[in-house]
Amino acid sequence: MTGFVRKSLENGIDVYIHPTKKYKTVLLQLFFHCHLNEDEVTQNALLPAVLQRGSANYPTRQELVLHLEELYGAELVTNILKKGERQLICYSLNLVHDQFLPAENRLLEKGLLILCDILTNPVTEEGVFRADYVRQEKEQHEKIIKGLINDKRAYSVERCLQEMCREEPFSVFKYGSLEKLAKIDAASLYRHYRDFLQKTPAEIHIIGDLDPEWVHALLQKVFTFSRGPVDELPLTAVKKKEGEINYVREELDVSQGKLVLGCRTGISYKDDEYLALLMYDGILGGFPHSKLFQNVREKASLAYYAYSRLEKHKGLMVISAGIEVKNYERTMDIIKKQLQDMAKGDFSEEVLENTYRGLRNQYLEEEDSPAAIINRTVDNIMAGRDWSTEELLRRLRAVTRDDIVRVAKNIQLDTVYFLTKREGR
Amino acid sequence: MPRVVENKLLREKVYCYRTEEGLDVFVVPKKGYNKKYATYSTNFGSINSRFVVEGEGQEVEVPDGVAHFLEHKLFEDEEGNVFDRFAALGASSNAFTGSTHTTYLFSTTENFTRCLEILLDFVQTPYFTDESVEKERGIIEQEIRMYEDDPGWRIYFNLLGALYQKHPVKKDIAGSVESIRQITKDVLYQCYRTFYHPSNMILFVVGDVDAQGIFKQVENNLKKYNYRPLGEIKNIFPPEPEAIAESYVEQRLAVSQPMLDLGFKELDVGYDGKPLLRREIVTSLMLEIVFGHSSRLINELYEKGLVNDDFDAAYVAEIGYGHSIIGGETTDPQKLLEELTAGIKRAQKEGIKEEVFEHHRRKRMGEFIKSFNTLEYIANYGGYHFRGINFFDYLQVLQDITVKDVNERLHEHLNSRNMACSVILPVD
Repeated sequence: MTGFVRKSLENGIDVYIHPTKKYKTVLLQLFFHCHLNEDEVTQNALLPAVLQRGSANYPTRQELVLHLEELYGAELVTNILKKGERQLICYSLNLVHDQFLPAENRLLEKGLLILCDILTNPVTEEGVFRADYVRQEKEQHEKIIKGLINDKRAYSVERCLQEMCREEPFSVFKYGSLEKLAKIDAASLYRHYRDFLQKTPAEIHIIGDLDPEWVHALLQKVFTFSRGPVDELPLTAVKKKEGEINYVREELDVSQGKLVLGCRTGISYKDDEYLALLMYDGILGGFPHSKLFQNVREKASLAYYAYSRLEKHKGLMVISAGIEVKNYERTMDIIKKQLQDMAKGDFSEEVLENTYRGLRNQYLEEEDSPAAIINRTVDNIMAGRDWSTEELLRRLRAVTRDDIVRVAKNIQLDTVYFLTKREGR
Repeated sequence: MPRVVENKLLREKVYCYRTEEGLDVFVVPKKGYNKKYATYSTNFGSINSRFVVEGEGQEVEVPDGVAHFLEHKLFEDEEGNVFDRFAALGASSNAFTGSTHTTYLFSTTENFTRCLEILLDFVQTPYFTDESVEKERGIIEQEIRMYEDDPGWRIYFNLLGALYQKHPVKKDIAGSVESIRQITKDVLYQCYRTFYHPSNMILFVVGDVDAQGIFKQVENNLKKYNYRPLGEIKNIFPPEPEAIAESYVEQRLAVSQPMLDLGFKELDVGYDGKPLLRREIVTSLMLEIVFGHSSRLINELYEKGLVNDDFDAAYVAEIGYGHSIIGGETTDPQKLLEELTAGIKRAQKEGIKEEVFEHHRRKRMGEFIKSFNTLEYIANYGGYHFRGINFFDYLQVLQDITVKDVNERLHEHLNSRNMACSVILPVD
């Protein structure tokens, strides 16, 4: 992977600079890392929306958007992410690099000034956020929370994980809850904001054709706000399954059933066995050549999609398929058979080799995307990993069949969630 | 002879070459990228369900969803599954079918030449049996069911059904559970022989590759198949009346809040090349000025809580049809409809000012430059070729249009006469 240069700002924010000549753009991402905690996630998630309603220099949403657009269509978006038991608030600023703009030489600085103004200089009235901005954004946020159901595939996966991790912080929805949202007002959110900016661990990643010293000096010049000592975040707990398999059935007005199986792997990204788990997941359901696609879709014609994927920081694996409601039993049998075959080591050399190659290809392709490079760096920092791509691929290559079978034996099915048709319709 | 077109501002080149068989090949080299991405597309999509080939007899009409079904089936041949062949080389492969074309692709960081050979070969080697067609029906049926639960997909096709009386663009790309029951291997072969001739296709490659080597490889590959020239394909589309089919359609689904899409049907169709590109750019700029995130109208509606950040307005410019779609999630579709209608009237009365136009032109220029970061976006520009457009003309056309063009378009296109409205409501 493109190497990065690590620096820090005087206010303590870490800066990772990834210099490369490959792209037409400069991408900056500022991450705030929060504990996934029921009391604060809703405020954390609402905050960026209120801040983007206006700053002292750009006091309305329209003025703010106009100024960003003026910078050759600069994009400034906030995403709320969940990685293990952390909620990440990510501000992304994506700009065309000056060298492609004949009449421009300080686009990055202009963009950074807007970002900084939004973060540190919000429009206020009577010492807190504007009440109408908070009220309107609360209404919008309510729609985001309720809107999960509109994408049935994402909804069913989220619901499965919620049921599975009921007693753990991981079950908290990254956008928060309606109950907590209702309690927020302009004054409480403003208090939270002051606190958030002071204490939340933060890091900046920036990637593009940039001189590290120059860009560091620029960031230093712009991000001058002071910060206090930052919070210590608890580690994500990777747990084993206890007790019986949990079966959950939910009815909605749908045409297709969604079957989701939640498994505990006992292994997370920071563990040595992670790459064997990655191979396991790839053989089971990461590719079209994988067992799930081949057996659920190609052989039995039961589904259009059938796959597995990992939640790498929490050590979970999710299996998901969209099926005809009446085919629930048949599909479950086929999926369970695949899990058993994996534990027996019943997979061909060819599939093993193709999975290695497929994963290798994915890692190499990531290096062509600025956002993917940053995402992997963030994962590495969280897990205390400093593998280069070469090192990672060398270790992936070294994974043996025995390693995969060892991993397979520890995989425990925890929760089976089925979204089905409403009876009598 | 290969041709090379350079864009100085973008600092990009495209190498173009037409083989003897009539296949157009495009290569955009991207130095330093690991990934190499190739798409092989035919000018055959869900709308091409009635056609006749010059000098080959009768007009043919095929069931809805054939192009998509064919896309699924090409991934299997006598030797088995094509996915596995790519997987063995560390590549990933996929395909998609749209209204106007079908595209097969792979993406790889290694073994590019071998992957390209597989792509060319599998798309040129149809192998359909009764059993394999039957097996695919179950899979596609689940794909159709999945889309039946997708509110974004439903509102879109409901809207097209309201805008168009006859044109097949209104039909779902995958067809229906009923229509795919009528698809047989013979139907697939018949469409294959017509639409998968090299003269009806393009190959587009992006990545750190050698253009000359690719041209040579493609030329040699096609020779193996001994193509004879194909007569001109005449696609038959029933004449589309100017009037819309219905002014309002609604459907109830398990969603959290209602959605509203407004559509405007293009009445003056049949253009291709630069005039079509020009129309696409003029119309999309106009929509962005009136309905974009920085517009007065959308900011007012946002503050009233009637729209979200996902509110969108886009224009589709095909040779045989065109339409704008404007909308998103809303708390109150009726109120939003009234507000949008009033907002359009106000915009038409006030007109678009020079500085607002310049602002959006500048934004669009930045967006176009940014798109050249991503190999998939670049390869997508290949689709312009089927409409006779050279995508490197984009920035020039953007420079050439004027505020007058955009104002004329605002009056002519956003007309209640050719407007329809599609609504999704929550169940109960």
